[in-house]
Amino acid sequence: MLFNTPLFFVFFVVFLLFYGFIFLRRKPRVYFILVSSLVFYGAWNYAFIPLLVGSAVADYFLAQAIAGAPTKSGKKFWVTLSIAMNLGILAIFKYADFVLQSVADLLLVFGYSPSIPTLAFVLPVGISFYTFQSMSYTIDVYRGDMEPRKGLVEFTAALSFFPQLVAGPILRARQILPQFHKIPLPTWVNAKHGFLLITVGLMKKTVADLLAAPAATAFDATGPVSTLETWTGVLAFAGQIYGDFSGYSDMAIGLALLLGFQIPLNFRLPYFASSPVDFWRRWHISLSTWLRDYLYISLGGNRGGHRTRNVLITMLLGGLWHGAAWTFVAWGAFHGALITLTHWLGRLTPFRPWSESKSLGVRVIKWAFTFYLMLLGWVLFRANSLDSAWDIVVNMHTFSDVAVGQVGAKAILALTMAAVVLMHLLDLFVLTKADKLENKPWLFWLLLVIAQGLCLMVGEPSTEFIYFQF
Amino acid sequence: METTMNTATDPATIRRHYFKVLLAIAIGMSLALGIVRFFTYVNNASADTFLGRVLESRDALPRIIEQPEDLVLFYGSSMVQAGFSPRQFDAAMAERGAQTKSFNFGFGGLNPLFQEIYARRIREAFEDNDRRLKLALIEFNPFQTTKTRRNRARSAEDSFTAILASPGELMQAVIDDPERGLRMLNIRYLRDGVSAEMITSFFGEPFQARRLRSELPRDEEADARAQELGEELGKRFEAEYPDYQGENWRWQWQGGGTIPEERPADTLALFEEYYEVTVTDYSQDNDRLSRIHTADIINLDFDPELVEAFIGIVENFKAISDNVEVVLLPKNTDWIQNPPEALDRMYAVMERIEQETGVRVRDFQEIEPVKNSYFSDTTHLNRYQGAVAFTQFLVDQYAGLID
Repeated sequence: MLFNTPLFFVFFVVFLLFYGFIFLRRKPRVYFILVSSLVFYGAWNYAFIPLLVGSAVADYFLAQAIAGAPTKSGKKFWVTLSIAMNLGILAIFKYADFVLQSVADLLLVFGYSPSIPTLAFVLPVGISFYTFQSMSYTIDVYRGDMEPRKGLVEFTAALSFFPQLVAGPILRARQILPQFHKIPLPTWVNAKHGFLLITVGLMKKTVADLLAAPAATAFDATGPVSTLETWTGVLAFAGQIYGDFSGYSDMAIGLALLLGFQIPLNFRLPYFASSPVDFWRRWHISLSTWLRDYLYISLGGNRGGHRTRNVLITMLLGGLWHGAAWTFVAWGAFHGALITLTHWLGRLTPFRPWSESKSLGVRVIKWAFTFYLMLLGWVLFRANSLDSAWDIVVNMHTFSDVAVGQVGAKAILALTMAAVVLMHLLDLFVLTKADKLENKPWLFWLLLVIAQGLCLMVGEPSTEFIYFQF
Repeated sequence: METTMNTATDPATIRRHYFKVLLAIAIGMSLALGIVRFFTYVNNASADTFLGRVLESRDALPRIIEQPEDLVLFYGSSMVQAGFSPRQFDAAMAERGAQTKSFNFGFGGLNPLFQEIYARRIREAFEDNDRRLKLALIEFNPFQTTKTRRNRARSAEDSFTAILASPGELMQAVIDDPERGLRMLNIRYLRDGVSAEMITSFFGEPFQARRLRSELPRDEEADARAQELGEELGKRFEAEYPDYQGENWRWQWQGGGTIPEERPADTLALFEEYYEVTVTDYSQDNDRLSRIHTADIINLDFDPELVEAFIGIVENFKAISDNVEVVLLPKNTDWIQNPPEALDRMYAVMERIEQETGVRVRDFQEIEPVKNSYFSDTTHLNRYQGAVAFTQFLVDQYAGLID
């Protein structure tokens, strides 16, 4: 059930009718959110509802066991069990076939051709998001950062809260559980901001869908692709994945706001980043902070002279989180290497003035170079194989005008660039000027209606969100 | 922007708040949809403009069913629309003692996927009234059944399907796949048949790969004369058919076109000259290149789903017809020549249709009475030579079946 479909519209209106007019007390509301979230999830594949609920129930009781364990080793046992269970679910549903296939490929290199069966499980939508969310709860309880919550239904409802269930942002238990304990009523100011975010998210998703075709020209071509088309394709994918994912996040935050819940920002103008480190402070913030808090710090963080190792492991696993393929591993490794390099260069005396400079010229150069590196990263992320990624990178850097026959290649490049800029301008506007617009009701509603009308007019409504597959 | 929490629990406050939220959603979405409708209106895009002829013929079905004569229906593409004259067919049949009422159900722009859906509507109309066709002629059009043709129509698939589906089918779609079903309902009832993909495709057209243009020289004198004749024939049509209201599917003509018997001799003479000046090497070559680009008319790489849909069309007509025949319409062999491998593919598909439906497929692509000069372009027969000759040919072929 995609946010930008008539089905979700009907679902949400019906939800609001019950939520706003029938279930007015806290407990029935929590139950109703849970049931609605399961209906929302079941619209994809109801067979995985037990997995979602089971995972929540298990972590709920494991958190109680952690808190109740009298010894440190007892607590460690229960938290290990929770982590093993969550990672085990991910391993079975998401990574088993990848591992088996990789083993088979490796054996082939050594001259063996074993017939290794694949499990071919259907990947439950949103599994990477809700398992991480659930794990953060037991780890927080283990670390003593929060008390275990009383109320299984409340916990399950929070974990499966439909606006953020299938593609994040990845909420921490301490962010969302207190809100379920005292379900808030949004102010009209919040509701208006929610409407604005939903509209901006919808616009970004619409633009992202339109960028899918030029991206496919470069990444899925079966014939030769010109240098110009390759650059256009890579840029289009950079725009597509940003619009698609940040658009989803915006809509999720906006929908939650309409219900009174607050979900933190997940993107902060990522392509304005001035370094790879800066990029990860702006891109998929809920994942990067999760990885920092629960993986990087657990590995030892900056301590003990193992920063490089820990960064590389964190980013490698972060890459793998996105998908079970070597391209994602390579993408994670690439970003790990970039972050390590950035740290190293920052420590070198000749580069210090450069890294600390506030001059516009230096900032523009840093921004341009960072954006170029991010584009290279997206090649790894989107390519169908490592070989294909290499071909595309080569194609980007060697001139070829042999085209696949796309008409108006320069116009498409211009439109693609405009689309990427437009999406960032929209975000910049929301971050800096939303208050002013929301205080001018006529202009606010007029712009929202026009924007919604434009989004309804064009687009490919059947296009799934890219991050659903993660 | 800083958001603030409100922990009010007073039911009236909660209801008031959500009433405002729902009101904003209702008004906002209505206005946004209004913008879409306004855009489609000013661009003259609607179910009627895409499928006007189909919808008009659908409206005529109750009246068709009431006709007392033996009913004949020729179902197919724009080649049927141009090449079959129902009134001439009925007159020739009457001369042979058979009382028929035939109808031209040829529609441009419908591939077999859409034709199959409409065939279901025709079948329902006949079955609901316990009426049968004496003869159903179904055109198998090879180049309407290709992958290229299918890909060209992808952006219209949901739209055409939503327009042609019955309310029952739409509800079933909602049950089977709520996401798609509600999309279809939205397209059908709120967007007047115009899907977002269609609008996107419209805007994306300038970026589609362009087709080749003919490099043959243009005959500018002929073009100028064709323009003059076209204007003159337009005026004559208005004078000779004052009651014509711009119908796409006209009951008085039984869905076909005008016939030579009702046109003055000097108009027919003008038409002869018109055919000569409009059919030039340049125009034919250009049309051929266009058909290659949009329908793969030479290589004929068939789309299995379209072939499947075509078989569905035949099955629908079998349920309501005493006789069903599948036919291939005449081909302009001066311009359309298929390589042997394309012909092999075509024969294989024809054989499959025969095997799966038990209906004979007759190849009228190269028949003696229809000459290549009877075409108005590379695929369509002209009205006063081609349609006349082909309709007479059909009478000769099928009179025996109807008698």
